[in-house]
Amino acid sequence: MSIPIYTYDAVIVGAGLAGNAAARELQKAGKKVAVITKLHPLRSHSGAAQGGINAAFSAKDSEELHMYDTIKGSDYLADQDAVAFMCNEAPKTIRWAERMGAVFSRTADGKIAQRPFGGQSEPRACYAKDRTGLTLLQTSYEQAHREGVLFFDEWYAADIIYKNGKISGVVAFNIRNMDKAIFNANAVMFATGGYARTYKINSNAHANTGDGLSIVARHGLPLEDMEFVQFHPSGLSGSGILISEAARGEGGKLLNSLGERFMSKYAPNAMELASRDVVARAIIEEIRQGRGVGPRKDAVYIDLTHLGAEKIMERLPELRDLAITFLGLDMIKEPILISATAHYSMGGIPVDIDGHVRKDNESFVEGFYAAGECACVSVHGANRLGANSVLEALLFGRHVGQSMAKDLDRGIALRPASLEDAQNMLDEMRFVLENNGTERVPELRTLLQESMTENAGVFRSEETLKKELVILDELEARYKNIRIEDKSKIFNTEMQEAIELGHMLDYARFIVDGALRRQESRGAHFREDFPARDDEKFLNHTMAYRDANGKIVSYPREVVLGRFEVKARAY
Amino acid sequence: MSLETKKVNFKVFRFNAERDFLPYYEQYTLDVTHEEVVLDVLNRIKWEFSGSLSYRRSCRHGICGSCSIKVNNKAVLACKERLFDLVELFGDELVIKPLSEARVVKDLIIDKKDFWAKYDAVKPYLIDDIDEAPEVENLVSPHEVEQILDSEICIQCGNCFYSCPAIENNEEFFGPAAFAKAYRFAADVRDNAKIERLEIVNAPEQGVWDCMKCFECAQACPKDVNPIEKITKLHNMYFQEGIAKSNVATRHAYAFKRSVEKNGLLDEADMVLYAERLDVIKQMPNALSMLKVGKLPMPWNQPKSEKLDEIKKLIKSSSTVKF
Repeated sequence: MSIPIYTYDAVIVGAGLAGNAAARELQKAGKKVAVITKLHPLRSHSGAAQGGINAAFSAKDSEELHMYDTIKGSDYLADQDAVAFMCNEAPKTIRWAERMGAVFSRTADGKIAQRPFGGQSEPRACYAKDRTGLTLLQTSYEQAHREGVLFFDEWYAADIIYKNGKISGVVAFNIRNMDKAIFNANAVMFATGGYARTYKINSNAHANTGDGLSIVARHGLPLEDMEFVQFHPSGLSGSGILISEAARGEGGKLLNSLGERFMSKYAPNAMELASRDVVARAIIEEIRQGRGVGPRKDAVYIDLTHLGAEKIMERLPELRDLAITFLGLDMIKEPILISATAHYSMGGIPVDIDGHVRKDNESFVEGFYAAGECACVSVHGANRLGANSVLEALLFGRHVGQSMAKDLDRGIALRPASLEDAQNMLDEMRFVLENNGTERVPELRTLLQESMTENAGVFRSEETLKKELVILDELEARYKNIRIEDKSKIFNTEMQEAIELGHMLDYARFIVDGALRRQESRGAHFREDFPARDDEKFLNHTMAYRDANGKIVSYPREVVLGRFEVKARAY
Repeated sequence: MSLETKKVNFKVFRFNAERDFLPYYEQYTLDVTHEEVVLDVLNRIKWEFSGSLSYRRSCRHGICGSCSIKVNNKAVLACKERLFDLVELFGDELVIKPLSEARVVKDLIIDKKDFWAKYDAVKPYLIDDIDEAPEVENLVSPHEVEQILDSEICIQCGNCFYSCPAIENNEEFFGPAAFAKAYRFAADVRDNAKIERLEIVNAPEQGVWDCMKCFECAQACPKDVNPIEKITKLHNMYFQEGIAKSNVATRHAYAFKRSVEKNGLLDEADMVLYAERLDVIKQMPNALSMLKVGKLPMPWNQPKSEKLDEIKKLIKSSSTVKF
């Protein structure tokens, strides 16, 4: 079988904020660039971001304060040089997005409006009603499209071409008809999004299966801080669909079955606007102690009725609509049911500020870049603050695009690809299509998601994590015995789901392994058997890779400090 | 508070272009809860009964626009349509079909290339020299933002496009989504290509004047973008900008105003004459039938409104319709 080999200066996988912003920069710099995405770019999950994007530009605010809030929020695990870079560049980046057409909400004098968000000292989240991500995704795509960027939409990137510390392209197939292609390139960027879909209750899109993470790990390259998964305090009961932090930012009150505003016990000063990990644990704790509400008693109330219909319709129209659709509850008239939902991946592909992917603590992979949620810079450390994720994706996406263009100008050699480079993908597809076992993919995926929520979720312990490792072994063995019904070449979404489950099983192990090694509680990672932060042993990043035998090996990477003193974190 | 359930029969459209000559339906009877939406049922069918069932989906909360389908011929986003609402509307037998059977590739997945080609045609991006490192943002008042009328929240799901009867009869027609997008930028004070974009959607056969004003698009839109409202706004923009060209549709708009200005009421014969010009001859059989039943007043006893003075003032102060 013949597979075409296309040649590009740069190939980007993923067309959310990071991928689009990078592609535009490369195209403007005169590079031949292609973007591969398994959806249409306008369907990317960046568009689901609701509440806002941070930049310190109000009179009382400063970049320094934005840095401090971000680093404190990260429980001091963020790299302070990267945070400083992000906060300094944020005002310019957001104004650039505005110049490109983003439809922000405005103040009376025509400036970009800002609202309060959890863990922020000042109202800093620039917003477009409660659909900030949508206007930013559209804008980033529109302007990349305007520049003539070539998008391969509904293509599935299955593998990278990686040998001897150097990357030379991406191997992919067309979801429409299973046509395969090798995208040979001098530079490759991953902007493949997060991995929260490994959990049963999550806020993520079906597409967010974190394929990029395990593609990297399968080549023996490291992943960083994978144990840090953010549980957002307000997912709709049952589905986990997100109710933005804007609901708390605008004044939402959390109540338990006794009608108590329980945050006064957990964060007496910041109350509902404490950092996300703090609020999420408080909610789960209330439910565990039997003070949950709703038909499953698996939720607490968020009450917004005191805001009144006008303010809700003006500031939170999408959120109201979501609660009506998925719960049948109208937040104007009654409190709605929420609980913690797996939301954001702090960990990911380790990169430096310019997006170069780390091979280990000393060296980088030539020609390989990553940005957005799939990357770990790390600007979020152990816990991300609200409205910093769209900022990271847009800002680093653009910056890494520029950094790729610069590196290409300096010269990155093109290693010619050959048909053998597609072998991993062909083997994987053949296995899924032809394996004639007895196990069904949806059942294995449900078991994975349920057990991860149970054992490696908001609360973890050595006991639950070890239990999860046994479950992962078992699921991996069962995965080898799968069978799918659909053998056709057209939109074989059953095959795609099976491939995606393979990825989820692979990187779930990194989450559990990292959580087991980290015998402390920091940010979103909470160990019931080690409830305190331990800076002496664990003020460092977890770098982990899979060795030749499939065993995970990990080593620490120092956190970049220097700007703010490491202190206890209290809200 | 507990979970309510209902028993529903689903008939699901199946077709695989690789294998099938004709489509067929598969039937499933499922208990659904008051929290479930159509996408939940599609997932249950795929994951529990038929792995090969194919449909697009991603965000599962109505923001990515992937999962457009038709249920009992109503265009919906599968992830935003509550089953209890559909049962109330149609009863307990629901027929799930692709948005367009003519464009189906597999099961509920259609080829949307015509939809995207029309999206592309209206230059769907802000046209301006972009300051790559701005110190300040453009100042845009809340009032100016409001003029965009939420058209920017269109998620390109295609529900309006594949519900539009004009598209069905004329494949050149741009369709409601592209017009809403054209309006989104034409109404943006930061855009520098308003006239250029208006000229694109002014093209005969393709442009806004071929809209039949049936309001299907407003009905079909899951985000309340209300494309017909934007089409009407675009109509007005041609007159406001002084670039309206004389064609049967613009003359019709003008004749409307002319008639109301003259009589305070519609003079239908005059409107048709003015809009159609020589083609009015085609309307003679209609005119004769109307005359027979006394529905066509003669010019000398054309009724006039009693408040004609007030109407004239109103038109003078508000109407933009002029050539």
